[in-house]
Amino acid sequence: MNHLPEAWGRPRDDVYGAYDHSHLRPSMPNQHTQEPIVTGTSVVALKYNGGVVIAADNLASYGSLARFSNMERLKQVGTHTVVGASGDISDMQYLFDTALEDLVIKEEYQNDGHHLRAKHVYSYLSRVMYHRRNKFDPLWNVLLVAGWDDGKPFLASTDLLGTTFSAPALASGFGASLAVPLLRRVCPDEESVAKISRERAIEAVEECMKVLFYRDARSTNKYTMAIVSGEDNKVDIEWKKDVELQKQSWKFAEEIRGYGAQIV
Amino acid sequence: MFRNNYDNDSVTFSPQGRIFQVEYALEAIKQGSAAVGLVSKTHAVLVALKRNAEELGSYQKKIIGIDTHLGVALAGLAPDARVLSNFMRQQSMSSRLLYNRPVPIARVVNAIADKAQVNTQHYGRRPYGVGLLVAGVDETGPHLWEFQPSGMVLEYRGAAIGARSQSARTYLERNFEAFPDASREELVLHGLRALRDSLAQDKELTTANVSLAIVGEGEKFKLYDGEEVADWLEKLGSTQSSRGSRGAQAAAAPAGASGSGEGGDSMEVDA
Amino acid sequence: MTSIGTGYDLSNSVFSPDGRNFQVEYATKAVENGGTSIGLRCKDGVVLAVEKLIQSKLLVPGSNKRIATVDRHVGIAASGLIPDARHFTSRARNEASSWRKQYHGAIPVSSLADRMGQYTQAYTLYSSVRPFGVTCIIGGVDEEAGPSLWMVEPSGVGWGYFGAATGRGRQAAKAELEKLDLPNLTVEEGVKHAARIIHIAHGDNAGKDKDFELEMTWVRVDKANVVEVTESGVVKGHGRHEEVPKELVEEAEREAKKALEVEDEEDEKMEES
Repeated sequence: MNHLPEAWGRPRDDVYGAYDHSHLRPSMPNQHTQEPIVTGTSVVALKYNGGVVIAADNLASYGSLARFSNMERLKQVGTHTVVGASGDISDMQYLFDTALEDLVIKEEYQNDGHHLRAKHVYSYLSRVMYHRRNKFDPLWNVLLVAGWDDGKPFLASTDLLGTTFSAPALASGFGASLAVPLLRRVCPDEESVAKISRERAIEAVEECMKVLFYRDARSTNKYTMAIVSGEDNKVDIEWKKDVELQKQSWKFAEEIRGYGAQIV
Repeated sequence: MFRNNYDNDSVTFSPQGRIFQVEYALEAIKQGSAAVGLVSKTHAVLVALKRNAEELGSYQKKIIGIDTHLGVALAGLAPDARVLSNFMRQQSMSSRLLYNRPVPIARVVNAIADKAQVNTQHYGRRPYGVGLLVAGVDETGPHLWEFQPSGMVLEYRGAAIGARSQSARTYLERNFEAFPDASREELVLHGLRALRDSLAQDKELTTANVSLAIVGEGEKFKLYDGEEVADWLEKLGSTQSSRGSRGAQAAAAPAGASGSGEGGDSMEVDA
Repeated sequence: MTSIGTGYDLSNSVFSPDGRNFQVEYATKAVENGGTSIGLRCKDGVVLAVEKLIQSKLLVPGSNKRIATVDRHVGIAASGLIPDARHFTSRARNEASSWRKQYHGAIPVSSLADRMGQYTQAYTLYSSVRPFGVTCIIGGVDEEAGPSLWMVEPSGVGWGYFGAATGRGRQAAKAELEKLDLPNLTVEEGVKHAARIIHIAHGDNAGKDKDFELEMTWVRVDKANVVEVTESGVVKGHGRHEEVPKELVEEAEREAKKALEVEDEEDEKMEES
């Protein structure tokens, strides 16, 4: 019998045969996340003269199942910034509740008059995303960062590959196909931001949320909106929570062929 | 050989609660030549006196640029300053890479302070033997910090370290109220006058022994050496200490190791 | 028994024949030379105050802060070697941060104080390190206990307090703290007493000719973050550590100076009679 301490409490080799170590070194290569599990759909955002409007609906889907209907996907970071996330919800929760919370607390306790603004939060997030993709273990999200920076509205996105992109109108997920063309009609380029009022921007984003609900099967009719507005270096963030889509009209559905109780 | 039983290492408190090894490290700063720093509302300036070991040798570098918005002047062990300034450069780079932001001056200063403190609490290490003046500009304006081997860092409106720096400090104390509204040129001249006051009686400021650095809001950190300081010395006029015989007295005083030699230099800066 | 010359005081982690660890006692000496720090545990929050001695008029006024924020709801005021205090707070921040990562919530102040006590004590165990030359007052408000105040000494010992004082003016400060009905004070009242006590402590010791700045912070619970108010008025919830607003500090200091003048006059009358 083996009396050596490392064998204590183990099945005896002479009774059970030698210990099978194979599970410690699997024959397969290490596998990380291959797909998102619980997901959030589009985030929509638009710059205007004096700020940014950003919105995301409150649904978290499990595959095609509408699993959680009260999942907010926007987070305020510090005083200048709102981040919106689509894609994997648990990755989003890691970013929002752990990574960004830690970042903000560490910034606050310095107490030296410096604050993280939108471009700093955006830079940080894009580095994290790119770092994770280089570990072949990406955070499965597309993130939009909206805020007020250097006396100007700020809007930019980063995704699970660490790609960075900026435009006056941005949307993630289904919205990248459906909302962006609508928003570009309102705001084709950076110059036109100056011509867009706050009301016009809110209206345009509301319209996008509605169109997305019409056509995106993973969306819902309840959403959260944040309006980041600034004047010089003063920033105000207005939150609209649990907003329901107004004035829906499903008349267009009759025109659509290919599903439902249609005869022809 | 040792002065007492409590000064062999930096992990032994004396019965009075002092750490002699740390206090001796502070003395190393006074072995180095003087450096002066000062700030206005728009600029931060460093000036320093360079020394050469021998007539034909080059002068020891006294000011090190860290990033486009900050730099340091040193007094004491130059190799230690290189270690610290390399670390500051890393901090500065990582701030730009991670946050897309030039590192706030206070934070890079606190980072080296924390590094230095560890060396005063663990056996087998020695405290850094160098004092630094860190000057820079960030979003909250121009700043000047003094770093000490004890891990103490303090923000100043004007500061001087190194040999005979008490005289420079006296000049700063008499004139600091004019610094905030001083122009770029006035601020540099205040710095040079303070440095000039720390000279020994037979010495003068020359293009060979003066280093000067300026950083401002919208003005990148720039180091001026050699002929580049000629214009400044011309504007200064007299390049010899104006303190007359007082300078000679200060020079004659031996560098005391009691820790009470120059104000605020003991580790217990809180007292 | 005296410590000096016996050899038992030359290394950390060594007991003397009568069971003392002199290096820890010497570290405490460093604390006793530092500027006074105090903490008040009031019913709806905690007040921290320090006497920040000003070594040179060239220092930037209001800069070089001595009270540090550790997490949203906790602050630390320290007396003694300032670099050691920075090390201590840095460790406290790491503890608070790792607690958040593990438990997804704010660390209870008592747990933080406990962990910091253990960390400090570890620096008395080995001859390869020296003890911390600081005594730290840890104050905060949490969900479970409401306002709480702890003081950790170089030995690693840590107690909970209603009123804590350390540094060179601690005796005078303690005497004043004992006169207060701390469990029933509000933080607003606490701020006024804290300002007065720091001024008294400053006048009571050798450094009284030196200038000082009064630095004060508090931890309170915003209305929106209150979890529970007990019958005795103790507020529990998510506290926030921040500087006491400037106007309040100035007002408290004005009143403190006035109170001190009145006291001086009374003393003079006593002497005359």
